[in-house]
Amino acid sequence: MNRIVVTGIGVISAIGNTVAENRASLIEGRCGISKLEMFPSKFSGSLPVAEVKISTAALKEKLNAHDPGVTRTTLLALHALQEALTCSHLTTEQISSFDTALIGGNTVGGMCLTDEMYEDAKKETAGSEYIASYDYGSVNIYLQQRYKMNGIINTINTACSSSANAIMYGARLIESGRVKRAIVGGVDSLAKFTINGFNALHILSAETCTPFDENRKGLNLGEGAAFLVLEKESDCIGKKNYATLSGYSNANDAYHASSLSDEGNGPYKAMNDALVKAELTASEIDFINAHGTGTENNDRVEGTAILRLFGKVPAFTSTKANTGHTLGAAAAIEAVYAVLNLYHQELYPGINFKDSISTLGLTPLQSYKKMEIHNIMSNSFGFGGNCSSLIFSKA
Amino acid sequence: MENAALKQQLKQQIVEFLNLLTVKPEDIKDDEPLFGEGLGLDSIDSIELIVLLNREYGIVIEDPKEGRKILVNVNTMADYIEKHRTK
Amino acid sequence: MFYIHQHSCISPQQTFNDVDLEKLHEPVDKKLQAIEPSYEHIPPGMLRRMGKAVRMGVGAALPLLQDNTLPDGIILGTANGGKEDCVKFLNQIIEYNEGMLTPLNFVQGTPNAIASQIGILTKNHGYNITHMHLGLAFENVLTDADMLINDKPSNQYLIGAVDDISNSNYYFEDKGGWYKKESINRLDFYDTGTTGSVAGEAAVMFIANGIKKNAIAKVIAIDTLHNRDVSVMKEKLIGFIANNLPAGEKIDVLLSGENGDNRLQEYFNAAEYIAGENVVVARYKHMTGEYPTATAMGLWLSCIILRQQVIPAHMVKKQLPVSGYKNILIYNTYKGNQHSFIVASLP
Repeated sequence: MNRIVVTGIGVISAIGNTVAENRASLIEGRCGISKLEMFPSKFSGSLPVAEVKISTAALKEKLNAHDPGVTRTTLLALHALQEALTCSHLTTEQISSFDTALIGGNTVGGMCLTDEMYEDAKKETAGSEYIASYDYGSVNIYLQQRYKMNGIINTINTACSSSANAIMYGARLIESGRVKRAIVGGVDSLAKFTINGFNALHILSAETCTPFDENRKGLNLGEGAAFLVLEKESDCIGKKNYATLSGYSNANDAYHASSLSDEGNGPYKAMNDALVKAELTASEIDFINAHGTGTENNDRVEGTAILRLFGKVPAFTSTKANTGHTLGAAAAIEAVYAVLNLYHQELYPGINFKDSISTLGLTPLQSYKKMEIHNIMSNSFGFGGNCSSLIFSKA
Repeated sequence: MENAALKQQLKQQIVEFLNLLTVKPEDIKDDEPLFGEGLGLDSIDSIELIVLLNREYGIVIEDPKEGRKILVNVNTMADYIEKHRTK
Repeated sequence: MFYIHQHSCISPQQTFNDVDLEKLHEPVDKKLQAIEPSYEHIPPGMLRRMGKAVRMGVGAALPLLQDNTLPDGIILGTANGGKEDCVKFLNQIIEYNEGMLTPLNFVQGTPNAIASQIGILTKNHGYNITHMHLGLAFENVLTDADMLINDKPSNQYLIGAVDDISNSNYYFEDKGGWYKKESINRLDFYDTGTTGSVAGEAAVMFIANGIKKNAIAKVIAIDTLHNRDVSVMKEKLIGFIANNLPAGEKIDVLLSGENGDNRLQEYFNAAEYIAGENVVVARYKHMTGEYPTATAMGLWLSCIILRQQVIPAHMVKKQLPVSGYKNILIYNTYKGNQHSFIVASLP
């Protein structure tokens, strides 16, 4: 009765604007990666990215969010949050309660407005409507004000593991008795800022990404958002429980600012500690939603760490082949996918794969499967060695 | 430009571009390894130096792995610049 | 509840190495800029890459980790950490029209770079996180640490916060009306009756665990609120004091985050009213300036006050004869929407 249960989910990504659309896309193995087209850039028409094909203006209309200073990052978050709240049937009173936390991760914040920020950062310009929107916290401040939330609100940025840490923090707030429920998740929108940053590091692929493939050439950036509503099981009797969050861990690789150690110490520790928290052995994991970005470093190191930890490696895929790498949203989107795996007792086919990494011999699951699933591990490893692993279990 | 003068200029540029606080250009030996031992630069520095070669000498190196073969020491860098510079 | 065992502070005042809080440094051009040390503990190969927020954060943290203290985790807060590097990268994007760019500014601009660099330097594989929620980033650090230490009191954590005045941040805030239009000195810092405050910056670090022995101070409780309505804030503060102060204890000092911005004065007045007549009121923003994680310095100052049992005269707004300082209520609001309530006490 003390288990942390998931009572609501919401997601928007390049493969769907809702949970149902994302699930349908995953079942059919749809790839949301195409050439950049939604904003003007030197990379338009050439760089493969995973865009949510709704313009910022259309999102504002759809969400009735015409407040000055609202950014695309905020709009994507709002879209997914609305779905999660509806799904969970939280009342207005519960949302505004001092007992309800909102914890979100992101790595772009308002910096999706690259050109506006450049102008506003100059001494001589007057200041646009986005002056207070560039930081990371402004996303969750907007959501807090829109929903009149009075509980604990937080924003976390640990690069690509941001929303995993948001999920963990929310769960721990419930476990410690500080809150009764936590709305947790993350968001990031595509931006010139991140596209150029990853390009400068030479880790973007000029082709559709191929996670865990011998000939992988890098990652494709994506955008999206996802939120989950977490509650204590004893507090939501009679409510639909989609899954439980049974384990989690945050560990640091402590090796290099933008790459993982060859032995995968951080990833290994995160996965192992999550198993300990869940009181599970490695053999009880039925499936891994890998971080699997498609970079030379991540996939080799993550694969190495998985082989170190698992005697028999369970089925695994990287859904970044479908959604691109959504940075701050990645862990939350992939958490929703893990919940879907468990709720529907199904696994989705990995895509964009041909040959295993020769030194590892690991092959992602290649076809849709209906099977008994009890426990799923979802990994997210970020810059700064910020490694995380979440374990979801059947409700 | 004379090779010696180019190397002198290159050392100055390396120190400034990489903000090497405790290294003076004259401290860098022509054959001193830039990576690992010697100057102890890392993978981010190698990308920075590729950008330096582009901005100062108009050289384009697409693949950082190829770049490392050129960025062994000041001698190899200067040789490559002399052969491939467009500025 | 947890205990503080060590602390370190790089700030606009003399707070690093030889602490001297009587020597007050004043705002210059509406900024209170940090007095930076020589950073001898940071290897030059890493220091060369660090922007101000990162070197201040790492520089404040490393002295606490010198005697092989291996914390079980690193928990930091920053609202804008690394923004200066972000804007430098942005400038490259524009200047070189998305051409060949150097990645260092992008990597160093990631806010978790501070916690990450400390982790790399100390080879720390434990819990590592960066909280970014603006005026409550540090409060979430404290809440996070509180939960972890409560789970395992023998664990210890490096906790802290950093924010710097970068050109871009300064202009964003100035254009948003958060800094004074007029020049300001410490004598009229709180009394101009005008909008805005003065920009500040600092890096503050603590070693925290659940062990009372040899502790410097105790953090009894932390709570936060998002609400502009002063009556909601009042109710929250009343409940916070009632629910968290042990029976028979009283608040001796209200350390107020009053910052001279007349739009926020009603909140600080409300805090003084609720804290009661018999409470000494002290202020600190004339020492730190205003920035999102300034309450970290509020906690640092509380540790100093509790240890020395003296409040520097320039901090005191309302003095009372007291038998000693035992419980300090630190109240702050960041821009009127975010409120924080912390009680720090003798261990």
